[in-house]
Amino acid sequence: MKLRGLWQLALSEFKLNLREPAMLFWALAFPALWMGIFGAIFKKPMPGFGYEGLNYANFILPGGMGLTILASAFIGMSTTLATYRETGVLKRLRVTPLKTSTLALSFTISQIIFIALGIFVLFVIGKIFFNVRVLGSWAALIGMSVFGMITFLALGSAIGSVARSPRAATVITMLIFMSMIFLSDMFLPVSLFPTWLQPICKALPLTPLTTVLRDIVYGTPLNELWQLGIIASWLVLGSVITVKFFKWE
Amino acid sequence: MSVIVECEHLTKSYGNLVAVNDISFKVREGEIFGLVGPNGAGKTTLIEMIEGLRKPDSGSIRALGLDPTQQGDELKEKIGVLLQSTSIQPDIKVKEALKLFSSFYRHVPNNIEELMKMLSLEEKADSRFKKLSGGLKQRVAIALALVNDPVILFLDELTTGLDPQARRNMWDLVENIKTRGKTILLTTHYMEEAERLCDRVGIIDYGKIIALDTPRNLVNNLSAESKVTFNIEDKDIDASKFKSVKAVSQVQKIDDMFIIYTDDENNTLQELVRLADKQKFRVSSLRTESPNLDDVFLSLTGREMRE
Repeated sequence: MKLRGLWQLALSEFKLNLREPAMLFWALAFPALWMGIFGAIFKKPMPGFGYEGLNYANFILPGGMGLTILASAFIGMSTTLATYRETGVLKRLRVTPLKTSTLALSFTISQIIFIALGIFVLFVIGKIFFNVRVLGSWAALIGMSVFGMITFLALGSAIGSVARSPRAATVITMLIFMSMIFLSDMFLPVSLFPTWLQPICKALPLTPLTTVLRDIVYGTPLNELWQLGIIASWLVLGSVITVKFFKWE
Repeated sequence: MSVIVECEHLTKSYGNLVAVNDISFKVREGEIFGLVGPNGAGKTTLIEMIEGLRKPDSGSIRALGLDPTQQGDELKEKIGVLLQSTSIQPDIKVKEALKLFSSFYRHVPNNIEELMKMLSLEEKADSRFKKLSGGLKQRVAIALALVNDPVILFLDELTTGLDPQARRNMWDLVENIKTRGKTILLTTHYMEEAERLCDRVGIIDYGKIIALDTPRNLVNNLSAESKVTFNIEDKDIDASKFKSVKAVSQVQKIDDMFIIYTDDENNTLQELVRLADKQKFRVSSLRTESPNLDDVFLSLTGREMRE
């Protein structure tokens, strides 16, 4: 009964994501295109990236995963929440016996399924065209991805809760989205950035996420556990803001 | 008939604005009860407090024996709600929406196929919600409100924004739902709608119920007059002829057309027919305009009810 509501809502939201062109572009097409283009441009192994012997596609694969997670969780969650609040969808759900916790969990599950699909697409492209490899543990890769998803979902819902309108939510989200992409190590290792900028890059959640994902892909042992701490702090921050500012209407 | 909703001394303010001001009323099982009044009168605040969406500042509510502020979850299982101007997910298909909403309830006795048939939504089963016309959207909203076979149905501004044809269809639908034994609490700012649908209406203005009765009693208690209009073409008759007819207060004649004001429509009509028979003239284009709830509102508030 209640469990049925949880799954039905998660499934519906997943299907609705597939019908949303913006979501299809940012979460599925954009990361795939990005990886395809950069992978094709830099086919040779690159010096100076610290991971000799593997090609650039292998370097950007974790970045692509981060991008998919960021785009889908962050954009999807914030605009969906803000739009549903503005159009009264949340209010309509509220007069049903559906619990707030069930609602939150359903939205989370639907996004996770959607992001998993995006990452799968990324791997298929990477495998077929660039022969990308995962040298580390798959379980760690999946676990880390889910950790990242939940963190960015929390941040997305925080913005969706704080923004006054769907338009505001989109603007704020895109600003943060773009800055995070350029300030992360998705294109280049952070060590190549100006020294004054490096701490900022490292404090943002996307950098540690891609770094850890990359370590797993390359099979390097995880020795910088503080990176997980940074991600966890963002998760806590996002959750607190959401709980504090979330409104039904 | 037992009481199914009972509100006592409900008050709710937003800042300085007192949206609902010490309102008490009861809804009986099986009736259509209407809250009628202009926009901003407090209808939606009132109905949403009963649904458990808003908390009253003071006063008490019992709906189906439950307190919406304390036992909201239990209450939500048993009520169906059509909110004012809210949407569902724009890209969801009609049938998907029905399936989704029915998954939220413990007991779902209503078969989705039957529900779609009852609301003539079968052809739209695979249409996306955002593509539907206003009337169809409201029908989907009613279907969603009925998935749990609720005891009480709340309809907030059901026909606002619909064209006259869609509005009439909606009225038929509501009457049909009533025959299935549901209690309906609705709000409207169309007096015509209240008169047509409601067993009892509460007229609400500036957060207070200023009159509560059956539409017929409300109108009958008015000392307003009916207007009888007719033409006499085959004979030249003087307006004064009708002055002496019982209960008539005033007669006007414009060419062939006569307008009579009366406070006893039935008697006046009978006498008119008798007179026509006796004096051999033919009455044509006869029509009467009785006072209605609009006149009731006017006489209570001194203002016209405007949208």
